[in-house]
Amino acid sequence: MKGRFSWLLVAPPLATALVFFVAPVAYLFWVSLHTPSASELYGKALTIANYANVLGDSFYLAIIRRTLGVAAAILALCLLIGYPVAYVIARLSPRCRMIALLALLFPLMVSNVVRAYGWVALLGRQGVINNSLRDLRLADAPLDLLYTTPAVVVALMTILLPYMTISIANSLTALDRRYEEAAQALGASPWRTFVHVTLPLSTPGVASGMLLVFLLTLSAYVTITLLGGPRSKLLVSLVYDGVGAFQWPHAAALAFILLAIALAVTGIILAILRPGRVQGARR
Amino acid sequence: MTRDARSSDAGARIGRVVRILATIVAFALVIVPIAIVIVAAFSPSDYFQFPPPGFSMRWFVEFFRLETMRNAFALSIELALAAATLSTLLGTLGALYLARRRGPASALLQSLFLAPLVFPTIILGVALLLMYKTLGMPIFPGLLLAHCIVGMPYGFRTVLASAQSLDPALEEAGQSLGAGPLSTLLLVTLPLVWPGVLAGWLFAFIVSFGELNTALFLTGPGMTTLPIEIFSYLQFEGSQLVIAAASTVQIALIIVLVAAIERVVGVARLTRAR
Repeated sequence: MKGRFSWLLVAPPLATALVFFVAPVAYLFWVSLHTPSASELYGKALTIANYANVLGDSFYLAIIRRTLGVAAAILALCLLIGYPVAYVIARLSPRCRMIALLALLFPLMVSNVVRAYGWVALLGRQGVINNSLRDLRLADAPLDLLYTTPAVVVALMTILLPYMTISIANSLTALDRRYEEAAQALGASPWRTFVHVTLPLSTPGVASGMLLVFLLTLSAYVTITLLGGPRSKLLVSLVYDGVGAFQWPHAAALAFILLAIALAVTGIILAILRPGRVQGARR
Repeated sequence: MTRDARSSDAGARIGRVVRILATIVAFALVIVPIAIVIVAAFSPSDYFQFPPPGFSMRWFVEFFRLETMRNAFALSIELALAAATLSTLLGTLGALYLARRRGPASALLQSLFLAPLVFPTIILGVALLLMYKTLGMPIFPGLLLAHCIVGMPYGFRTVLASAQSLDPALEEAGQSLGAGPLSTLLLVTLPLVWPGVLAGWLFAFIVSFGELNTALFLTGPGMTTLPIEIFSYLQFEGSQLVIAAASTVQIALIIVLVAAIERVVGVARLTRAR
């Protein structure tokens, strides 16, 4: 659409995005730079103490480290399981491939709270795993599987795994198989072909899968709370607790530290994988 | 056969076994937790038991009998209908505007419209709550606009893909036959991108219906969406089976919508849209 009045088309979505997305985030940043106040949402004086307090406190640093550790474990597991599955899916006939992708897409549409509940039902003290162990007389007392950091990792990993698999599968499906045939014809073993041809050509899918999984891990408050309980809190739990305690400047600073981590890791993933190298890659 | 070729043959076989094992494990990990919730919802027992000792619909009756659950379900549906419609309308407008434009300003606009897909929604939730507190925004419109921001990228993306694959000659033909810009838009372009609009609407509906991270902050007493109601039940009242029934209702609605997508635009579009 072009023409003198075509800007009328973009005005409503642009205004909505500016007023209800850009402006509130900017306002939150503004609040993060203010002193706390007992009566108002935030105090009058400008300060960077909210950031300094978090980054200088070993309690917060330990939680940031745990957040990064959990995210790294989830990313590694998603890649390790997701890549071979994507490889299998990409080699299926178009009809089977569509069915496999739908089977992965459907769980993404189910609310995460329902999927986390499924894991609570599996791992709880009266859950499927503990009851089976008891019935098989393999354990005398129920194991404490729930409310641990590994529970968070496993549940969140499976909730996000379809994103990784679908994006790598799309990349591998688009890959021209003649490159692999050429490598094999020139004497490369299947393993060498994979490492030097298939893997580099699939980096756009790997990169977008990793970004999605990482960014969604950072804000997965509900899954982290239901599976991790009070002892396995991550950075996002602290943001929520800060809001619950009406410590607005503190919560705002934590939110922007979370955002800074998101941006930094996005930059690192893109710098290492350089998905732009692959010609014809969709962004 | 040389020794090298034989070892690479064995390597290929191990590779195949690993891939098939990974596929079985992956599908099991993704599907089993959802399947357990559905099976448990039909249990006649008072507490979670697996496998269930029989079959009963009592927890579904309980779900619709509990006023808080019923209200949350109704609110979620109203909210998803309104948010999907508004966000698809806005996304469609943005997509039609950007479909044939290039340059840095268009690239910036496109990133802005797609940003909510990757932006940590928990921050959006906190930011909106803070702004709403400052402005004194009522709960329903506040939630609606939050869900609208979260859903906008879906309509925008599906319509953009449809509009970019359109033959520009069709619009030119409309114009040369005397249609003004508005009639060309309504009579030529919109009918042609309609499947994209519908797919975007259904996506936005599904996303809004399961939304957690903004709703977590923006729902209030007496006004809760179904996912948040399920969450607070799980946190404060233990895992009673009415939660399994509520979850199964959630899943059933998604199945109906996926069937609708299949009827209207074909499921093949789904796997490409992600």
